[in-house]
Amino acid sequence: MKFLIIAKKEIIDITRDRRTLFMMIAFPLLLMPVMIGSMLKITSSQAKKASLKELKVAFIGQQFAPNLYNAFSSLDKLIILDQIPIDSVQSYIQSEYLDAAININPDYQSNINNNSQAKINIYYKGTDSFGTAKERIQMVFDQFEKNIIKLRMNKLDLKPDVVNAYNIEFNDVASKQERFGKLAGGWLPYVFILFGFMGAMYPALDLGAGEKERGTLETILSSPASRLDIVLGKFIIIMSAAFLTAFLALGGILIGIQQISEIPSDLLILINEIFTIKTIALIMTLVLPVSAFFSAALLGLSIYAKSFKEAQSIVAPLNIVIIFPAVIGTLPGIELNAITSLIPILNVSLASKDIIAGVMNPVYMTEVYLSLFGFAALSLYWCVRSFNKESTIFRN
Amino acid sequence: MIDVKNLIKDFTLNKKQRKEMGDKYKDTKILRAVDDISFECQPSRIFGLLGPNGAGKTTTLRMIATMLKPTSGSIKVAGFDSVINGQDVRSQIGFMTGQTALYDRLTPTEMAKYIADLHGMDNAKFNKRKEHLFNILDMNSFADRRIARLSTGMKQKTSIVRTIIHDPQVMVFDEPTSGLDVMTSRAIVDLIRACKEEGKTVIFSTHRMGEVNQLCDDIAIIYNGKLFYNNSLDQFKSEMTKPTFEEEFIYRVGEE
Repeated sequence: MKFLIIAKKEIIDITRDRRTLFMMIAFPLLLMPVMIGSMLKITSSQAKKASLKELKVAFIGQQFAPNLYNAFSSLDKLIILDQIPIDSVQSYIQSEYLDAAININPDYQSNINNNSQAKINIYYKGTDSFGTAKERIQMVFDQFEKNIIKLRMNKLDLKPDVVNAYNIEFNDVASKQERFGKLAGGWLPYVFILFGFMGAMYPALDLGAGEKERGTLETILSSPASRLDIVLGKFIIIMSAAFLTAFLALGGILIGIQQISEIPSDLLILINEIFTIKTIALIMTLVLPVSAFFSAALLGLSIYAKSFKEAQSIVAPLNIVIIFPAVIGTLPGIELNAITSLIPILNVSLASKDIIAGVMNPVYMTEVYLSLFGFAALSLYWCVRSFNKESTIFRN
Repeated sequence: MIDVKNLIKDFTLNKKQRKEMGDKYKDTKILRAVDDISFECQPSRIFGLLGPNGAGKTTTLRMIATMLKPTSGSIKVAGFDSVINGQDVRSQIGFMTGQTALYDRLTPTEMAKYIADLHGMDNAKFNKRKEHLFNILDMNSFADRRIARLSTGMKQKTSIVRTIIHDPQVMVFDEPTSGLDVMTSRAIVDLIRACKEEGKTVIFSTHRMGEVNQLCDDIAIIYNGKLFYNNSLDQFKSEMTKPTFEEEFIYRVGEE
């Protein structure tokens, strides 16, 4: 039971470390919601700004389509410039003096009258993030086109159904929860997997390499505690930190979402319906073994390092290794199957997606748990072996 | 008592280490850090393990403290075999190095309690022992202050307490005064003497010949992992052909 003594001491030690506490509690619980909220707020304010922006549009050939010219001239937040020569248009748009340009061909009216297609060139800059200019110009042309078609059909005495042979109605049988789960469900595990890893990282570095650096490793190695006791005592605390951080990150996001006014109320209701205590508890059963996997692996690497600094440089690139499968889990089309359910981290991401969507396959879920607990056990076994290896523990 | 018989310790070198160590290790992967050493340390006597850096002193002491396993040979500490009864051996020893080896975020009381708990001391015994040690070392004024905020001297006292809180019968000191100033070294020297007076078996390694003369009853000289001399200090003095310890030491090592 000496591992409990070690665990007790490690709790006191890490909870007195402000950096660890910040990474473990404050960062996921406070900073995450603030970050998400700010991101949403900035995006929506930018979109609003773009929609209110006064656009400068060059209109070339107004004499060929006076109706169109008048329609554009009467639009709000649109300044029509009719003296711009066609060969300057592209460079003006490029330099953002103009937002767009419309060029009407001289044969516009004759084509319209002859039931032919009138050629219109529109110049714009595709890098405009919200596509405001293109969208607003398109709206005017769509309306005009509809009217022209209507007139032409009346003239020919045709019903609108002539050009709409099918009346297709798409009926989506997926529930709102399922759609939300499949679309957005992948991002949530990405966040708590990453936070779980970060939550384990600082304590693992401190309780492994930090112990070597302080010279305290020899103190505990020469105590009656066995190597297994030492590993277990440290592992339990690192795993708890990882689990707690992941849990707080999940909680932080859910609490944060409630505070963000930009989220539509029907989506908020749906989110609250999905994230019941049962769903969160189910997700946390995936987080537990993955936290164990991270913790044992990080502790093993940390005890291998000669110093805290070396441990940091060994562990830092692992962030990318963790992010990669977590990001794959967010991609559309990647589903839980017999193979993906065995790949650690990716399986947590995909299984969480299914839990959120409310569609769980019991066979795959069993595979996920077996894989996760299996990898956690392997990682712990490797960590214990590292502690027993003289060349690792006294590498310096 | 400590009984070391035919102790050998080999380390396997990796490619990088072989390269760093030069031509000598070009064709072999094995570094013999301790080469067939035998000696005995008796209770109430201070045994000095002498040798330059890299002689094999720390490796020998780490094997005594069961942190490293011998390649061959045997070590008995207070009657327990270091390989078979590692845990029993560890419960009998107090291990101290030149580093204070403390947890900055704990207090001296918590540090002592942690080690006492690992040694299975009950609360009553711990409190009594702690009170005794904190009184004689004058530590009560900073007993509950975080170690990070203590002076070097205070830290050294805390380190002494964590080494002897469980009242071990065998004390292992690995160059305990290296890097310390005169005042703090003095506290360690006093501790080593006090351990002897209490009837403990004391082994300590050093390359400071002044400390040897001041403290040791018995000495062993090791160099390149081999034992060059093992006898009482008095015997060593009577056999000396050079005027100082340093010169005698260099002479003996060079002779081989």
